[in-house]
Amino acid sequence: MENFDITDHLSFMKVEILETLRLVMDPELHINIIDLGLVYSVKIDEPVKQINIEMTLSSSYCPMGESILSAVKNCIEGHYTGFTASVELIWEPVWSYHSITEEGKKLLGI
Amino acid sequence: MSSIKQKPGLYRIVVTHYIVAALCFFILAVMMLFSVQAFTGHYFHPQILAITHMAALGWGTMIIFGASYQLIPVVLETELYSEKLAWISFSLFLPGMLALVYSFWIFIPGIHMQCGAVLLLTAIILFTLNVYLTAKKKKQQTIQEDFIFSACLCLCFTAALGTALVFNFTTSIFEQDQLHFLKIHAHLGIAGWFLLMIIGVSSKLVPMFLVSSYQKTRLLSFSYYLIVTALLLFLADSYFSGLNYKTYFIALIGVAGLACYLLFIVKCFLSRMRKKVDLPMMSTFFSFILLKVAILAIPFIIYYHLKNNPVTIRYSLVYGVLLFLGWITALILGQTFKTLPFIVWVKHYEHLTGKVKTPMPSDLFKNSLLKIQSAGFMIFCLTFIPGCFFISQPLLYVGIGALLVTAVMYLANVFIILFHKTKIYGKL
Repeated sequence: MENFDITDHLSFMKVEILETLRLVMDPELHINIIDLGLVYSVKIDEPVKQINIEMTLSSSYCPMGESILSAVKNCIEGHYTGFTASVELIWEPVWSYHSITEEGKKLLGI
Repeated sequence: MSSIKQKPGLYRIVVTHYIVAALCFFILAVMMLFSVQAFTGHYFHPQILAITHMAALGWGTMIIFGASYQLIPVVLETELYSEKLAWISFSLFLPGMLALVYSFWIFIPGIHMQCGAVLLLTAIILFTLNVYLTAKKKKQQTIQEDFIFSACLCLCFTAALGTALVFNFTTSIFEQDQLHFLKIHAHLGIAGWFLLMIIGVSSKLVPMFLVSSYQKTRLLSFSYYLIVTALLLFLADSYFSGLNYKTYFIALIGVAGLACYLLFIVKCFLSRMRKKVDLPMMSTFFSFILLKVAILAIPFIIYYHLKNNPVTIRYSLVYGVLLFLGWITALILGQTFKTLPFIVWVKHYEHLTGKVKTPMPSDLFKNSLLKIQSAGFMIFCLTFIPGCFFISQPLLYVGIGALLVTAVMYLANVFIILFHKTKIYGKL
């Protein structure tokens, strides 16, 4: 999960992007991808207006994987006009139960 | 950005299989309505043979083929080898199945039955070839791949033996009688095809749908080797000696294999992150209970068979009903509403996600119909199965009525999903 760095002038925008990504839901679990802990990092290349999201999926054979990835891209590009988004799927660290936020656990009824 | 992309061309082939299977399920319930008398006699009866093949091929295998074209690429993490091969297999399978079922129903073991059997065998070989060539594209081998490919091989052997049995009606191929080979044919299909395939696919899907943290596959490996060993021993022993005291021991090995798989499912269930279990998953768990009840009938079948007690026929019939109309049907009734809404949802909403608010896959079917379907199926199990055992026509009629309600609700919900119109609820 992205850390907030006050010395980085893009930190506020990164936090805003993470909040925006709460709009992207896992279609099976009905929980947003931030509370599921799927998003690992947000990188912003301001001069070229590029936002890169590093994220994972709950399993490598998730049949909804493509939908979730395209939802992330669509969501960023829809909210940040002029920016292009790229989504990088990474498998390290492996997603686990511990990646879910307290709010996500509440939503799952854990 | 990389993950397994759902090929758009797959949609038509998958959906066609689901529609045909749903129609076959309804026809199956109607066929049963006209065969109540047959359920009070011996299972080697033309109408029972027709119903069994409609259940096993038109309902069970048809939907497994359809779901496989969607799920095997997901489970094996690679794309399907050929859609064209899938279409050829379907266009041979459907007329073959219809010809065979109709020939059994009117019981004329002539050219129509033989052509039906040959068409089915060819379709099944092509399906197996497609699965083999899909799996070959993948470098890493998993236990799921072993389950799936072994299941396909068993289906080929089941169909080959079935075809030989069909020809044996008119040309003497086997020295022993049909019933001797019927046991081998049935168990190659039940334990070899259905059980191995269902374990292979569900061992990936159940943990995924439950969001389970249990990842170990040791129990699945034990399950695979025990079930395959039991199946091979049963085939050899049953061929040479028929049912005998050794069959208890062989059944025990198979049950141990099944227990390993069920233990895997329990571990997934207990370590699930998603606490709320929805109706489709409850139906899936109910199917496992029906499977366990069916297994309990095995020692009674062997015991009464060895005592030459005709009650073994009642137990055998209940065993078959519990497997085909219980276990496999409950599993399909549940898993259809986990898989089909996703397949249709991806087609309608994949390009819209993240841009606008969309319905979720579980919003694509009517939950009220699903509840009636589940209640209907429960009534069917509680009336039809005792009706078969105690030879009670009123119970059989109530059960078949409940199955008809189940089939109508299922068919209606499948069409509601398939005719879904894209809806959006405003910008995100």
